[in-house]
Amino acid sequence: MASASPHDGSKDRPQGWTRRTLLGAMAAGAAGFAAFGPRGARTRAEGRIVLDYWEKWTGHEGAAMQAVVDEFNESQSRILVRYLVTAGIDQKSMIAIAGGDPPDVLGLYNYNIPLFAETGALLPLDEGDGSAAIPPLEAYAEAIRPLLTHPDRTGRSRRWACPNTGGALALYYNKAMFAQAGLDPTRPPATLEQLADMSARLDASRDGLYTRLGFTPTEPGWWPWAWGAYFGATLTDPSARRARVDSPEHAAAFGWIRQTAARLGPERINAFGSGWGNSYDSINNAFLAGQVAMVLQGPWLASVINAHNPDLDYGVVPFPVPASIAQGPPVGLVESDMLCIPRGVRHPEASMEFIAFTQQPRIVERLSTAHFKNSVLAGVSPEFVAKHPNRGVAVFNAVANSTRGFHAARTRQFPQIRSKMGSLFPKVWNTDTPVEELLKGANAEVQSLLVLEHEQKARRGWGSGA
Amino acid sequence: MKFSARARTDLAGYLWISPWILGFLLFMLLPVGLSAYYSLTDYPVLEAPIYVGFDNYARMWREPDFRDAALRTLLYAAAVVPLCTILALVLAALLCAGRRLTGFLRAAIFLPTLVPMVAAGMVWMWLLNGGYGLINQSLALFGIQGPNWLGDGPMVLCSLIIIAVWGVGHSVVIYEAAMREVPVSLYEAAALDGMGPVARFWHVTLPMISPAILFNVVTLMIGSLQLFGMPAVLSKSNEGADPKAFTFYTNEMFNQAFLNGQMGYASAMAWVQLLFVLALTGFTFAISGRLVHYRGG
Repeated sequence: MASASPHDGSKDRPQGWTRRTLLGAMAAGAAGFAAFGPRGARTRAEGRIVLDYWEKWTGHEGAAMQAVVDEFNESQSRILVRYLVTAGIDQKSMIAIAGGDPPDVLGLYNYNIPLFAETGALLPLDEGDGSAAIPPLEAYAEAIRPLLTHPDRTGRSRRWACPNTGGALALYYNKAMFAQAGLDPTRPPATLEQLADMSARLDASRDGLYTRLGFTPTEPGWWPWAWGAYFGATLTDPSARRARVDSPEHAAAFGWIRQTAARLGPERINAFGSGWGNSYDSINNAFLAGQVAMVLQGPWLASVINAHNPDLDYGVVPFPVPASIAQGPPVGLVESDMLCIPRGVRHPEASMEFIAFTQQPRIVERLSTAHFKNSVLAGVSPEFVAKHPNRGVAVFNAVANSTRGFHAARTRQFPQIRSKMGSLFPKVWNTDTPVEELLKGANAEVQSLLVLEHEQKARRGWGSGA
Repeated sequence: MKFSARARTDLAGYLWISPWILGFLLFMLLPVGLSAYYSLTDYPVLEAPIYVGFDNYARMWREPDFRDAALRTLLYAAAVVPLCTILALVLAALLCAGRRLTGFLRAAIFLPTLVPMVAAGMVWMWLLNGGYGLINQSLALFGIQGPNWLGDGPMVLCSLIIIAVWGVGHSVVIYEAAMREVPVSLYEAAALDGMGPVARFWHVTLPMISPAILFNVVTLMIGSLQLFGMPAVLSKSNEGADPKAFTFYTNEMFNQAFLNGQMGYASAMAWVQLLFVLALTGFTFAISGRLVHYRGG
């Protein structure tokens, strides 16, 4: 077999072509492609302004939002919105805004607003062209309104966002299990004391192992920072300068959690619930599988119920609070997904126009229905309640409209505070360390975060009133 | 201007490697330099950095989250490095000694290292599910009630160590290759001296493959101290669990930078990590002088 010389390849080339001319041609081609090659849709779309809309939703939630975007694109011929699914949206948008290439419309979580607003990463929606089309605060549910505003560095409260969907938390209960346990399914618990009594009657075990629990704060355990609020506590004072984790209300809340753990036995309950961690969207979901009779959840649980156990006979009531504070509007956590306009966008008025379009009641109700969520608006149509796939949607709407609806602490430190409360909960649940001692330690840690925040603000010239 | 033939050759060489040099300068050296600067600033990403001297470094020692994450990472590395090293050596020795099915076994041991990390994380998430996972279901067949692997701090650490050991195949392949390079004459001489298999492994094999052991230990150590992906994946599937249980040093650094907007502080953490890894690697190389034998060296 003849061995090929390195130069033999020249026979395959067109006559007169050398390695140098080949490389030159390739380089020229690459430069030409870079200079005159295809561009993104921003410069095409038949003369329309193209907006990039970053949102977190995929699956049926993403499809519902895409339908809203499509309807907007068809409703006019000036603007074209592109829906771009973005995982880790708060992290990626932070980099994009800092890098000067932000999306035109951004879908954040409500707890992102303090950091983004305080650092000037968002454009206020209460000034500029198109702001007149943005609905006023009064259009939104009572507990949603505080989520849409935040003080800027001058201390002035500004409007930074519009909600597109929102979720409130309430108590789901299994009516069939209530009947089996001799409880009246039409009279679910209205106070925390009743919840404890009913829960004890619903607990069932065999050979020392649980087969069913009435209620446990560990399922799903997604909001360990929120328990205090059901007892009237807040994580910080209104100015977010002082931590309030060791308040008497928090002591009562975590004392109740410690009592619940003592009654149920943390080891037994941890063994019983060891499969719940990643089983939310499955038939093994503890509530769907009949392992717990009552669960604190949002309206979105209906999508899991409808998908995996549509025959489940459930009811929804506001989550009970201690009898001493039970009189009054319902208490519950309220969260919302936010539409914002980052600083540095090229067409803020076009972004504003799109956001205003999404705030029409029929759009909000359609999107909320498709997402299995309650409405973020102050009022809802009768059809919304009648046709909603969650039979308890009226309860979730009531919580969102309640003056006692509560939300994430309005400080940029909230993600860290949430993490610290998340670590506090298992210590209360699993150990014998006095609750007051644990709360004191957690309070000191949260306080140090708040001090750090104010040091950083002072460094940037924030006034004492900021 | 005329260049000598040597200069032209050099210039051509530099031109050929210029894309890499440019990439290195832009995407490695510049970010490293910037992170050194940011570590001395208060930099929330969305606003300009402000110089604060060594405040971020001082803050680190006051932060309980930093201490927790650093300690958890050290414990992980302290368990993973010896466990993986010993297991890999044993498996490599067995593969070298084996006559049947060695190809299949080698592939079976190496295969896990080819599985993408996120895919592996999803599989382990279900394997380790306390109620429905294959591991606890298998233990139940023997009357053993398995733990809630991903439910609390110590068990999360154990789970991650198990997952690391599962991915030992890469080291096994390197050790096996090194063992096959050991001259047979040394084993024959050792056998003539009356050494048994264990003594031959200890006195012949280990010294002869010690450069490979050093390489593996150093890379394993660095990889363990930079653990990030697997706990990040597993924590996403266990929202109700203690978040700190899944927070290792690099996860804490990431959270500070991109979740809490503390890029200056995160940059300082990165530099502490780099200096610690450099010091540990340097120390390992320093003590390796007496333990590692280079053929012909």
